[in-house]
Amino acid sequence: MTRPSDIKPREDSVPGTPFAGFKVGAKLDELRFTITPDIVEEYFASVEADRKLYQIDDRQAAPPNVLLPYMTCALYRNYPPIQGIVMAEVEMRFHHPIWANENTEIVVNGEIVDKFEKKGRRYVRWKAHYKRADGQPIAELINQFNVPE
Amino acid sequence: MTAMKREIPINQQQIDLYGKINGDNDIIHYDHDYCLKRGFRGTLVHGPHLTAFAADLAAKKFGKDWLYRGRLHTKWVAPVCPGDVLKIEIADDGSIVESVGQGVTVVGRASLDDK
Repeated sequence: MTRPSDIKPREDSVPGTPFAGFKVGAKLDELRFTITPDIVEEYFASVEADRKLYQIDDRQAAPPNVLLPYMTCALYRNYPPIQGIVMAEVEMRFHHPIWANENTEIVVNGEIVDKFEKKGRRYVRWKAHYKRADGQPIAELINQFNVPE
Repeated sequence: MTAMKREIPINQQQIDLYGKINGDNDIIHYDHDYCLKRGFRGTLVHGPHLTAFAADLAAKKFGKDWLYRGRLHTKWVAPVCPGDVLKIEIADDGSIVESVGQGVTVVGRASLDDK
């Protein structure tokens, strides 16, 4: 099992990344983690999801957004966070279920897409692709967040 | 099909539970006094946590297709804090609005990609 906290640098655990430190176009290091049935169950509880909505032909899937707690792992391993980051928006596209009753090894690749200032606030945009270890595409994600002064 | 709605009262325990699986240590979710100094009403619900509430309604709207070609965009425009009652709605066209007493907090859209 890989808990997000196992692979995500926490605020204040290492020096954080100021806005100037984000490099547009830079690839993130590939990241692998495993979503287990325990993690799926914990996620169901934490977001108060209705598990009946994720049953396919009597097989239980996870909410596809179970990837969200892992969202910043690939980013923060390259760019450790400073305190006070505020998420602005996210877009996800789902390609295949993550089954709730088995371990799923996920491989993540991503890159910094853009950084800009808007209305006096500084933003970073980055994207990630999630595949199963066997190559099956699982999801794509684009995230934008505000880096405080 | 009619719009789908849900209401969820928000408390710090829910934020802490999401924070546990999220694995963060950002005081903006846990330190009330720090949040007041930043100009917020209180600690903030994680943005992806708010997205998950909308995603659940989208799964209800689109059925199993959601897991194979769902597309979800959420923009977090204002904070949600303990004590708020969060209202989540997905309209017939897939547009998402989440709001609390102070106004809209999340906007977005849920749809299906082409096969």
